[in-house]
Amino acid sequence: MGRFLWLGILLGLSLAQGRLEAGVYGDPSGPVFAMELGLSLEEGEVFARLAPPRGALGYSGSLSLGPLGFLAFGRQAELGEGGLGGVVYGEGGVGPVALEGRLGYRPQAAPPLFPEAGGFGRLALRYRLAPKEVVGLALAYRTPLGPSSSLQPGFPPWLLEGSYALREEATYTLGAGLAPRPYALLGWKGEVGEEGEVLDLLLRLGGLNRLEAGLYLGEASLFLTLAYPWAGSVEAWLGDLGLEMGYEGAPYAWVRYAWRWP
Amino acid sequence: MRRLVMVLGFVAWLSLGLAQSVQEILDRVEKNLSTPWQATVQGRIQGPAGEEELLARVYALPQARLFRVEFLKPGSLEGNFTVITEKEVWNYLYLTNQLVISPKEKAQVQGLGFSPQGLGDIRSLAKWVSLRLEGEVRLPEGVAWKLSGQAKEGQGFARMELYVLKADPRPLRFLFLDEGGKVLADLKVVEFKRANLTEARLKRYPKDAQVVRR
Repeated sequence: MGRFLWLGILLGLSLAQGRLEAGVYGDPSGPVFAMELGLSLEEGEVFARLAPPRGALGYSGSLSLGPLGFLAFGRQAELGEGGLGGVVYGEGGVGPVALEGRLGYRPQAAPPLFPEAGGFGRLALRYRLAPKEVVGLALAYRTPLGPSSSLQPGFPPWLLEGSYALREEATYTLGAGLAPRPYALLGWKGEVGEEGEVLDLLLRLGGLNRLEAGLYLGEASLFLTLAYPWAGSVEAWLGDLGLEMGYEGAPYAWVRYAWRWP
Repeated sequence: MRRLVMVLGFVAWLSLGLAQSVQEILDRVEKNLSTPWQATVQGRIQGPAGEEELLARVYALPQARLFRVEFLKPGSLEGNFTVITEKEVWNYLYLTNQLVISPKEKAQVQGLGFSPQGLGDIRSLAKWVSLRLEGEVRLPEGVAWKLSGQAKEGQGFARMELYVLKADPRPLRFLFLDEGGKVLADLKVVEFKRANLTEARLKRYPKDAQVVRR
């Protein structure tokens, strides 16, 4: 009976549209198996995340406004060592305004999928002043800015940052921030190939010293993060295979693979 | 003289007969636009911020059922583009650097006052609007057939008018209206030309874009 139940569950999973990302994370405290499973519903997706000793169940939804914009939102409830936790997030843009926010709490970190601890949050607002000019304001507390899918070592406990970006073929970014000491922000992003390959460089200098570089080649993407006091990482995505090695007080590595079906 | 009148009458009857149905006109447009082409669409739309100017470039590879609409105006849409494939609609959003891929049936757009899909793919347009032939009108580009019809539900507009150039069957003007007859979008097709386009060119997007599948 149990075998039929498992067969039924496996058949159900394989028929639904979904994704599975699974891998191993290792640091001096030992290896951790980490996985994320997402199943598409008619509208939105339910997902489960596991990185012992913590796991989460969540739902994410989205609303597409065609060429006008796109909104995505979600929440996850967590259970693990230390007690309950949870995260709510939303992101998207409509016309000239883009917003990204994330707010969460967990008693203890459980890398690689639950790297933050305590209360954490961030809010980033961008506004298109003119077709080629964008101003931005970002606030982050105990969580890095940027995608949550990589670990981003060496990010300060908090920062407040303003930026101005001008697109003239390439995009040039200038900005300043506090973390808590003042720093300057310089960025360059542009196409470096015939097929839309992109190089993205972002440098913070002064009270915060940090270089983030990304090279996007299509089937492969390469990332480098370097921060002082010394911390950093190199990451590569080769198709659906992700490799990341870094250092933040201690070395770590993360290898993962993503499947999508049908 | 009588013979001439008869011949002229026959030609007139024949030309009317050839253009009797909407389907025939759409077939002629489809046949005429069966090779790669590009055009500029300009006009006014009723956007979220009120009436705005719209300027967009349309690229079409009809045999591959592939269309691309690149937005130049309003400024808040500059850099955004829509790609329509056989089964999907891709919307690239410059500000958030996202490529949102939706199945065609999920991709109907509310709030823009018109369907970008219809600008390139006229046969699809006819699936969402019950068009009928209202007659012929003289436009600066030449004599055009005027088609109009009620939209099926969920299109973001209630009624549309379409003007098709008779001498070189292709759309000249799209007019989208709401239930009260208010113009939601009035778009003219200009700078039409045959072009040498490739599938890769029409599907091109920045490689660092976040791809979101819905």
